[in-house]
Amino acid sequence: MNKISPRQLYFFLACVMPVGKLVILPSLLAQYAKNDLLFPMLISYLIQAGVVFAVLLAMRKGESLYALLSNTFGKVASIVILVILSIFYLYAGLLPLLEQRLFVQSVFYDTLPSLAAFAPFFVFSIYLCAKPLGSQGRVWDILGPLSVAGLAGVLILSVASTDPGALLPVGGGGFKGALKAFTVATGWFFDGAILLMLLGRVDYKKGTAWKGTLFYLAGGLGVLAFLAVFYAVFQDMAAGQYFAIAKTSKYFSGITVLGRIDYVFIYMLSLVMAFWCTVPLQAGIDCYLQPFGRHRHLATILSVAVNAVFLVLLYLLDNRFGEVMRFITGPSFWIFPAFCILLPPFSLLLRRNHERT
Amino acid sequence: MKYVTGDLKRDAEALKKLLPAEDILTFSFTSEKGLSFLCVYADPITDKELLGEQLIRPLLHYEGGKSAKDISKSVTSPELRLNREFKKLSEEVLAGNPVLLWEGMDEAVIVGTKKVFVRAIAEPSTDVAVKGPREGFIEDVKINTSLVRRRLKTGELKIETLEVGRRSKTVVALCYLEGTSVQDTVDEVRKKLQEIDIDIVPDSSYLTHFLSSRPYSLVKQVGTTEKPDIFCAKIAEGRVGLIVDGSPIALTLPYLLIEDFQSSEDYFVPPYRATFTRILRFLSLFVAIYLPAFYVSAQLFKLRLFPVKLLLTIAGSIRDIPFSPSLEMLLVLFVLEVLNEASIRMPKYVGMALSVVGALVLGETAVSAGFVSTPAIIIIAFSGIGLYAVPNLIEQTSVLRLVMLLIAGSVGTYGLILATAFILLYLVTTENYGAPLVAPFSPLIGRDLRDSVVKYNLGSLKLRPETLGSPNKRRLK
Repeated sequence: MNKISPRQLYFFLACVMPVGKLVILPSLLAQYAKNDLLFPMLISYLIQAGVVFAVLLAMRKGESLYALLSNTFGKVASIVILVILSIFYLYAGLLPLLEQRLFVQSVFYDTLPSLAAFAPFFVFSIYLCAKPLGSQGRVWDILGPLSVAGLAGVLILSVASTDPGALLPVGGGGFKGALKAFTVATGWFFDGAILLMLLGRVDYKKGTAWKGTLFYLAGGLGVLAFLAVFYAVFQDMAAGQYFAIAKTSKYFSGITVLGRIDYVFIYMLSLVMAFWCTVPLQAGIDCYLQPFGRHRHLATILSVAVNAVFLVLLYLLDNRFGEVMRFITGPSFWIFPAFCILLPPFSLLLRRNHERT
Repeated sequence: MKYVTGDLKRDAEALKKLLPAEDILTFSFTSEKGLSFLCVYADPITDKELLGEQLIRPLLHYEGGKSAKDISKSVTSPELRLNREFKKLSEEVLAGNPVLLWEGMDEAVIVGTKKVFVRAIAEPSTDVAVKGPREGFIEDVKINTSLVRRRLKTGELKIETLEVGRRSKTVVALCYLEGTSVQDTVDEVRKKLQEIDIDIVPDSSYLTHFLSSRPYSLVKQVGTTEKPDIFCAKIAEGRVGLIVDGSPIALTLPYLLIEDFQSSEDYFVPPYRATFTRILRFLSLFVAIYLPAFYVSAQLFKLRLFPVKLLLTIAGSIRDIPFSPSLEMLLVLFVLEVLNEASIRMPKYVGMALSVVGALVLGETAVSAGFVSTPAIIIIAFSGIGLYAVPNLIEQTSVLRLVMLLIAGSVGTYGLILATAFILLYLVTTENYGAPLVAPFSPLIGRDLRDSVVKYNLGSLKLRPETLGSPNKRRLK
């Protein structure tokens, strides 16, 4: 059950990973790149696709990250690397969580609820994070179609309110704006780094690497389609439309008669998002469990500790998403490219255990 | 004394010592040749007419040798066994099979003249079909296995009998198709049955606890059916079946959640109709669990989900209700559950009065008195009906509905989404006898989807479900 099949991996790459990029990122891209918001997203996806391809190729070795690291650098060095990687995962997991919390508060509640409304997320997260990352494989089988149906539903309900001309002229946003938008988007592109923790957990078959990359790009295509529809609906006002996924379809004409039926699709995407938000935390915990072995109690203790820290962080950073985002995309901008673009391809150079091969 | 000695008096005493009950009777007689016999039997469960015809009458005129083999040849019963151990003999007497002892012989004859009281084979009330077979299992294991044997006329059908229960010694028939069922599953089920150390087994549901991989789980893990046609179809797919004496409900393993959304009738109607009804069942169950919860959560946290006109109607009807939306819904749900429980247990002639009380007094009057609103009653009624679209899952779904309602009332919609995520994660990680509970959806098995929510034509279902891993893959050529 803990081995992820290639199909489950494809669902993860094409359907689960993109969902995290549909909440606040579209409005931020629109803020900086204006009608050119597709280009920074496209470039980010193309770069990340290269990274994803490299990590998927490294999966051929069939060994976990810790095993590969310890074969290459020895045990102590590999533990140090994993601890650093774990800190990065937890750092990367903060933005999606803050985003998710704001999304939940804004979309599911008319009156602003306290942190208590979001706190149950951590109960779920504790339960999930105590399980091995591979246990999510089967969930992806369900989340994949659910995510496709959710996004398709939102797009279908939104498309009638669009003005495709709003995306023209190409280049209207200016190069500087597009570049700034690209730097902002890096905070949401840690996909290749997450895949590192799936090393040795995927039942690698011939062609999994390039197929996986194509599926990843297909997911990107879905995100680009959503961005296009989003900007075509809101045009110049798009920059102020946070929580894009819940707003784009609200002008559907049937809503006056049927109510917010688009929420059916938003609920589907929110379910997928709940799983996606736990992935960096689970990866962060896994970094400690790989060298020390997956003992049930250790996994539970780490899961409780990490989630408790995040609960406190969320309480302290209440309504400070802007500041956090500015910090992540500003002075510490280099962290994401370093860990998500430069580092993961090195997994190709890591040595396998020659005795086993 | 452990074994039969041949001393009739001593043997009778030894047997009587093991069977001191008043309804255990002895009958002694002497043949024309002077041979003394003693018959020990359990009065209420022995067919005495058969005993007289098949055993006593032939032996009265018996003129052959004194050996057990000679004597058993002249007894006309088709079910004869020889044994000399008192413990085994006493068990046979208690099972309704008389034991015959005679002077000078250290072996006894067991005669199969058990008297069985059974009800007629009828259509089970929990699994009614408009089209297709209407026979249902009854409480007798032999009749039930005969119903199976009648449908599967093949030597590959193996029926192994085991005894479970220290006191009840309940007969459990383990049924499977050799070469079609997975041998590991058969062995595992047999092993688990043999390991059960329980006092009595009054019904097959007792065994489900021991056969489940997560015995304390809310999720059902053993398939159940009251119809032999379904039982045989499941066995033919590669499952293992269990028929328990005294229970009309047979068990099948491994169990997949999708089974309870499939009705036997789906296979006797056109595929498009079967697909439609299956989608309807899924939606009904979803509505039954989530509708009251979403209504409460929308009222409490997100009123804008409703269209304006409906919102005005709801606002008008809930204006004077003294309870919070969640408390109001819980109250109506509580009344529904009480009515449901009472209507099942109540004598049929009181049922009509109960309907009147439920519908008029509790429904109509409660609304006009302003205790509960009309939308709450409509929603709970809809949810209550939806629950019965999948009758085999009522125990689980009614609990889930209540849990969802409590979550919606306290945390709102996001709580419901998280609860769903929890359930989803739990379901996909549950396996029983190597079969994932939510297959063919997770893990996604394309071929098996042809008989899941969508029902393909029979011609397209050439292979057995991949999920069950049957070694004999093809069922249609």
